[in-house]
Amino acid sequence: MRSGGFSGGSGGYSSGRWGGTVGGRINRERSSFKHLGYLTKLFPYIAKYKWILVICIAAILCHRGLMAYMPQFMKVALNDLADPNVVPETYKQAIGLLVTTIVSIIVYVPARRALRRLSISITYDLRQRFFSHVQFQGPSFFNKFGTGDLMSRAVNDINMVRMAVSFGWVNLMVFVFTVFASLAFMLSMSPKLTLAVIIPLPFVGLVGFLMARGIYPYYRERQEALADVTSFTQENLNGIRTIQAMAQEEHEIERFKESSTSYIKKFYRATRYQTFMNVYINALTTISPVIILVYGGLLVLNNEIKIGDFTAFSVYLTMLVGQVSSIGFSLSMFVAAAAGTSRIFEILESDPEVTDDANTAVPQTIRGRLEFKDLTYRYPETGIDTLSNINITLEAGKTVALLGRIGSGKSTVLKAAVRMIDTPRNHVFLDGHDICDYSVKQLREVISLVPQHAFLFSATVKENITYDDPKRDEEEVMRAASSAGLEEALKDLAQGLDTMVGERGITLSGGQKQRATLARGLIRESEILLLDDCFSSVDTRTEELIIDGLHQMRAGKSTLLISHRVSTARHADYIYVLDAGGIIEAGTHDELLARDGYYANLEKVQSNQEQSAQEKEKLLEQLNPESPSNDTQATASTT
Amino acid sequence: MSEAISSPQVTPRESPNKTPSDNARTEMRNYSAFDQELTHRALNVRMLLRLLKWAKPYKLTLITSSILITLVSALSVLMPIVQSRVVIDTVLVPVESPASFQDFRVVDAFEWLRDLTEWHPLLIAAAMYLTIFVVTSLMSIAQQLTLTSGALKTLRDLRVDLFTSLEHKPASFYDHVGVGRVMTRITNDVENLFNLITSFVQHTGDFVPFIFVLIICFTFDFELTLVGMMIIPLAAVATITFRWIMREIFRLIRDSVSQLNQYMQEDLMGIEVVQLSGREDYNISEYRKLNQENRRQEFRAINWEVIYEAFNTSLTSFASAAVLWFGGGKVVQEEISLGMLYLFMEFLNRMIAPIMGLGYFFNVLFRSMASGERIFQALDWDERIHEPENPVQLPERLRGSVEFRNLNFSYPGSEQILKNVSFSIEPGEKLAIVGATGSGKSTIIRLLARSYDFDDNMIFIDDIDVNQIGTNDLRQRIGVVLQDFHIFSGTILDNIALSNPNVSRERAIWAARLVNAHRFIEALPNGYETELAERGHNLSQGQQQLLAFARVLADDPEILVLDEATSSIDTGTELVIQEALHNLTIGRTSIIIAHRLQTIQECDRVLVLHQGEVRELGTHEELLDRKGIYYTLHQLQFQDSATASELTADPDELEAERRKRWVEMNPDSEPPTFGNDSMGGTGFIGGPAGSGTRPTGV
Repeated sequence: MRSGGFSGGSGGYSSGRWGGTVGGRINRERSSFKHLGYLTKLFPYIAKYKWILVICIAAILCHRGLMAYMPQFMKVALNDLADPNVVPETYKQAIGLLVTTIVSIIVYVPARRALRRLSISITYDLRQRFFSHVQFQGPSFFNKFGTGDLMSRAVNDINMVRMAVSFGWVNLMVFVFTVFASLAFMLSMSPKLTLAVIIPLPFVGLVGFLMARGIYPYYRERQEALADVTSFTQENLNGIRTIQAMAQEEHEIERFKESSTSYIKKFYRATRYQTFMNVYINALTTISPVIILVYGGLLVLNNEIKIGDFTAFSVYLTMLVGQVSSIGFSLSMFVAAAAGTSRIFEILESDPEVTDDANTAVPQTIRGRLEFKDLTYRYPETGIDTLSNINITLEAGKTVALLGRIGSGKSTVLKAAVRMIDTPRNHVFLDGHDICDYSVKQLREVISLVPQHAFLFSATVKENITYDDPKRDEEEVMRAASSAGLEEALKDLAQGLDTMVGERGITLSGGQKQRATLARGLIRESEILLLDDCFSSVDTRTEELIIDGLHQMRAGKSTLLISHRVSTARHADYIYVLDAGGIIEAGTHDELLARDGYYANLEKVQSNQEQSAQEKEKLLEQLNPESPSNDTQATASTT
Repeated sequence: MSEAISSPQVTPRESPNKTPSDNARTEMRNYSAFDQELTHRALNVRMLLRLLKWAKPYKLTLITSSILITLVSALSVLMPIVQSRVVIDTVLVPVESPASFQDFRVVDAFEWLRDLTEWHPLLIAAAMYLTIFVVTSLMSIAQQLTLTSGALKTLRDLRVDLFTSLEHKPASFYDHVGVGRVMTRITNDVENLFNLITSFVQHTGDFVPFIFVLIICFTFDFELTLVGMMIIPLAAVATITFRWIMREIFRLIRDSVSQLNQYMQEDLMGIEVVQLSGREDYNISEYRKLNQENRRQEFRAINWEVIYEAFNTSLTSFASAAVLWFGGGKVVQEEISLGMLYLFMEFLNRMIAPIMGLGYFFNVLFRSMASGERIFQALDWDERIHEPENPVQLPERLRGSVEFRNLNFSYPGSEQILKNVSFSIEPGEKLAIVGATGSGKSTIIRLLARSYDFDDNMIFIDDIDVNQIGTNDLRQRIGVVLQDFHIFSGTILDNIALSNPNVSRERAIWAARLVNAHRFIEALPNGYETELAERGHNLSQGQQQLLAFARVLADDPEILVLDEATSSIDTGTELVIQEALHNLTIGRTSIIIAHRLQTIQECDRVLVLHQGEVRELGTHEELLDRKGIYYTLHQLQFQDSATASELTADPDELEAERRKRWVEMNPDSEPPTFGNDSMGGTGFIGGPAGSGTRPTGV
């Protein structure tokens, strides 16, 4: 039932519906160094804060320097204590230690705070821009990026960027600085021992980095298995009524067991990899202390260094090892952030398909005449024209109906009128002016389209109906609701107009949803109303009521509606029948009946006359030349 | 099966032997419990003990892991002792060590080794150091793997039990509790409990050495230990206070993040409406408000975090300074050795970490408290369809008569929906139910499949009270096509075989042919193996409907219950569906909630339901003649239709047409007699031999 346009997003609705795991199974490219260039795209966001940044970095480096100096106090104290020729004055070192700590904290705290606030501000900016940007994208954008995909970018990727901004490159700087500072102090104490000690360190960094990268597939498998459990459960619970009606609970439980067992297997594998990785890194980092123990010990025995130097070496080593073994993590986080950045900017850099080009003066008061002149349209990346040479005129104040099979292009016509798809200039005219000359905002104000897919937001019924302008008063709402045939349904709702509906509220039936969306369109009382098959889920009786309501509310205004039912179309002043993108019949109800074509056949079938099976078969043949495969075709052309 | 695991501890259970008549079937339940945020709960020891029950099968693994972590922690304390006591105090700056000091005989071992090997003492020390490292590493690998495996299996079992209990919750439960509400319990909440178990064991691992170190320090110098340790209560208080404050802030952050995400997700899902209503700017500013709130909370969190970090760092260095000063004096007085001073300062650093970790652990603990409660809330929610104590053994094949006898029914807490409904259907008969929305049509079919509980002796199948039939058994005999039938992701074949996993491929194809689904399936790229998207998004609505028919037919139920889809589809598809519906109901007792005139005409009799009462019952023609409710409904809904006499198709022609179609679809078998009036007989159309037999005794 979906045709073109927005339907692409619907496949992704399911993901991320429940908190935590957003966009479970979006296939991501593995992050690598080639993404690093993308980080430059963040510069404009960071540049705003560049002076804060410079000061913060200076402060943090100063803090690290002071930290690196601290073991010196202990070194002096131990040396003095071990030397029988000196009277130790450990209180001096103790005070030195304290003062250094206090100074370093005074320097560090504000800098750290500012830096982290900065990363939050950047996240804020990115998020806001992401949201704003997406608001103005067109259907082909949403076909390309589903809801789940976009959510995943907005949540996971922005978080990753935040991590990188807040820790990543500061870590890298601190790393370089700490390495140099520690090395300097170590070298000043004993160049020989320093050389011996740092030999294993590059390996630690390398192994750490390689393993941090190597664990990626394991984690991805684990996440995917979890996503499988999640989506299995979600689907199962969504279809629980069907499952219970079929008495298949036990079977489903077995399947769930398999799925969750497979998940814990993947989980176990990832943990095993991580455990061994930790052990390897620990093994490598244990080499250096042993070198200090043996070689440093020898140097002490030979009186080349003092006992305080010996212990200070251990302290510096701990400092270095900590930095080196975390560099792998920092680097891989950085690379991941770079990949995240590229995914965010893929969105931020896509231009809106429909842009305002309103240079020509257009009337501000619209009478409501809509005209399609030789409109031909082809969706991007499809091989056939969805619309070819469409000529439709909706006179001001009149009602026109469009009929035709699924995939015949009816919805596309409506979308073209509000520029939900961008058609070339000079084919669609509103009151004689090209619609491209109107601003999109004005155009959509004077033309309301009620789409086929009845979507309600998680809000009250009233908020849903007054979606275009939350300030509308209750009276207006009730008028629209009663015209849309929603009044009766509202009576059944405990809180009437204030009942929460949608995903987090109560679920309305398909027909109620459809009537609510219809009310949303009616309340705007715009000069032109476009209804895309808005009666498909309501029964014929209600439909009659709604059409009555429409007549009252739309008196003197133009309406263009799509329907499958002759009983609806007959109320229109003029009827167009579309097939395969072209108009095959046009006329008033009576004219079309007299013609004995598609419309007339449809009328016969729907009114159930001459119901013999053969007749039925014949009609079927006429309506759908390739009848049984019709469904398949329809699907093929819409997906 | 797994119910046996979950049931014993269920708290307020109804007594199992009470009579069905005084049952709590119409009990009002407080479903809002599922909407409550359970984040402010205190430590719930009983719940933790309950969790142990799931750990029981893996107790060996988990106990092994606990023993290992104690050993690993104890051994890891030895490494700095080797460094300080052996290397510094014995080799580099030899001193007499005070006898009271406990060093686990590391020094003795060293002396013994030195005498034995005559290596350089530093080499021996290095060897000892490495040995301890290797042993602890190996043990720690074993520890982590056993822990992970035990914890994962425990939670897998919990997860499966939770799923099982959800699977058996009746329709009334899902009428009130959204899928999302229970969904997260299976995913996030169980994950949280996993974090609880692992972080509990890890923190035990942190605290064991803490205790060791504390004992060592006290035995070796009481005063110095006191000086060094005075920061520990301070750090502990700071940590607990900090976590307390942060718990609230983190909750606010989580809330604001989820609001942000929900807002964006909804906006994206309804982007078409947003753009058509010109709401873009409004929504951007709404989003900005949420975004600002999030930023505000994040800023607050950072202020506290930075203060806490600063406080802890200064505490540690304050303690180091104190120990250096005080301990230095003791070294000068030769009360302690240089190595001991060094060891002491090493230990001091080791002690602060577990305390900071403690804060993190509390975080996990409280979060998992809430998760655990959510899980047990769902597990303990004792709402199920009443099962007969001694279910009636149904015969191999039911005749298929259905009788409703003075049925009264109301959903818990609402008005009576069905009043004194009585009617009966002969085997093979087709009954159409018509009525306005809310007249109770759907309730009738829900009750027949026992989706809800009701009193005994009101509905009979083959003169057996349905309440005396096991629900599973009953549901296998009744094929239900709901209006919101669900297409699952998986292949087409999987979907057809959903009704009964034993359905063979041939049987599935046979069913698909019979309901006109075969042709469109064949035309799909992978035929019956085509993967369907969730909810069948890659099929048209008509195709989905046919698939749902095939699914029911494949299991060959004796009684068919169908809620006809109301939404209008294009006329061609509608005709195909009508024909499928016809084939589906041939020779099968059928109850159809009809929305289309043609469906009604296919049925033998029509039942008119009005405000929960049976108002009219008879053939289409009879009811039209009566000029009652049905006549009015008919006039309203099908005003363009021709009169009754014209509506009835010529039965002979129909029969011929159907036989023709049958041959088309099943070239190898003899067409059966169709006919609209095959009452009395079983009328079942057999599929390919042997493929459709139901497994007995299920």
